Amino acid sequence: MRASDINQVLDFVRDAFNEASKVWWRFFDWLAVVEWRQLFLTWFFVLVFFAIVHTPEPALWYIFISFAVKVLAGGKRRAELMAREATTQANVATLERRLMEAQMAALQAQVEPHFLFNTLALIGQLIETDPPEAARVHAHLIDYLRSTLPQMRQRGGATLGKQVELSRAYLAIMQARMKERLHVRFDVPDFLGSAPFPPMMLQTLIENAIKHGLEPKIEGGTVAVRAHVVDADLHVEVCDDGVGIDPHADDGVGLANIRERLALLYGASASLDISTPPGGGACATIRLPYKMMEDA
Amino acid sequence: MNPDAHPLTALIADDEAPMRDLLRARLKQAWPDLQIVAEAANGVEAVELGEKLRPDIAFLDIRMPGLSGIEAARRLYERSHIVFATAYDQYALDAFEQGALDYLLKPVSAERLATTCARLQARLRTREQGAAAAPQDIGQQLAKLTTLLENRGKPEKPAYLRWIQAQVGSSLRMVSTREILFFQSDEKYTRVQTVGAEFLIRKTLKELLDELDPDEFWRIHRSTLVRVDAIAEVKRDLRGRQMLKVRGWPGELEVSRNHSYLFQQM
Repeated sequence: MRASDINQVLDFVRDAFNEASKVWWRFFDWLAVVEWRQLFLTWFFVLVFFAIVHTPEPALWYIFISFAVKVLAGGKRRAELMAREATTQANVATLERRLMEAQMAALQAQVEPHFLFNTLALIGQLIETDPPEAARVHAHLIDYLRSTLPQMRQRGGATLGKQVELSRAYLAIMQARMKERLHVRFDVPDFLGSAPFPPMMLQTLIENAIKHGLEPKIEGGTVAVRAHVVDADLHVEVCDDGVGIDPHADDGVGLANIRERLALLYGASASLDISTPPGGGACATIRLPYKMMEDA
Repeated sequence: MNPDAHPLTALIADDEAPMRDLLRARLKQAWPDLQIVAEAANGVEAVELGEKLRPDIAFLDIRMPGLSGIEAARRLYERSHIVFATAYDQYALDAFEQGALDYLLKPVSAERLATTCARLQARLRTREQGAAAAPQDIGQQLAKLTTLLENRGKPEKPAYLRWIQAQVGSSLRMVSTREILFFQSDEKYTRVQTVGAEFLIRKTLKELLDELDPDEFWRIHRSTLVRVDAIAEVKRDLRGRQMLKVRGWPGELEVSRNHSYLFQQM
């Protein structure tokens, strides 16, 4: 009983102390930025007021303290406050610039020269050994290029349907190279096709699954792409049953770029989660707020 | 021994079947007498078949699952003459040029293959005559190649922990260290804080301290490791303690007196 009483008193004292310190610092900030002219005015009013009530001491204290604070610490504090305001403004500009940069980096990276080179080599080779297959791979490459290139110009025109289409073409080409070592499964309901989805994220995840998960695995495996809506969120998942993630391997520019862009576009309401399912391999899930249609 | 007496044999190793088909077709044109005795789809298979069939020449792709072409070559070079095949890769090409190792650029062009075949025939003939290229020399070159290609682009840094594994339900969440704001020890567990999520792991702070990159995470308190890049500001509270604010988390972290030197200039 007594202990709790003491605690209550302590709490009260602590609160009062906090409140007092807040008021003091507010006063301090005000002093730092206020013009001398205005300060003189307040001195005059305070003096007059306290002179009327015949107790000039508080007024003299006020004048003395405010003068001392303003002279001694005002300049520094004022500079700090101005710097803070400038920082806030700069932050908004920086945020916009960072988004632009991240978008550009993702788009520039989208057609990897290595991939283009290898695919053309494959087509050249298939022309000699298997012309119909060459024609198929060639058509996939054209699909792939067609769906990547316009995105570089049009802003925000990316939908999940488009991204899936792009990924299908990419995976078809990889299947022509890896043959029975690569299996592909898509589980994306048609109605999600029109949902907005940032460009080159699905693509990066699929490339990672193949490059780090399946290519190093002798027998290869399956890449499964799944999209579904959970509550008000769109979940897009890329899973592979490859060699899994080495805890000492760098997470790479690709994933960092996705995270950065999600944070800039959606703040805390989007995320990229990586996990290893009990059966092995790796799963990457992008979660972002679900919208039915691309806003016009 | 007369080369005509026994036809020369070769092995082709590449993880992509179309590439094997192409090389086989091109070799048939450029060197009709060469017998392709085996095709391997990965490094392990290449070594097995190479050791079993002892081909005169082994065409090895560099990037293969299981075992890289260079690793496979180190097991096979004493018996078989090695020819590497690689797609565009400046690192590897420089190494090959310096080391005078045979290589083919993929996709293999007919002209280039003809030159290589002529060179191979000449080399193998001199080997038949006893003037063999010293295999230990090739061994050294391969060892050099291994270190060169495995460590490319990476400075000599120990492998730090880049992913934290946290059990979530039945699956294991992989949390990239770049997502993590700080670690805080919480009695038996260690709490991992990211923007918007927290996980509990069993690894102790001491273990983490040993495994993480010391430039990426700083210890600021007996029970706290913070990611340097996540620090937003350092300030003093009324009691004179240094407090850290991190980006994306509303609270503050205390810097203990022992670690305050980290932020001395601020």
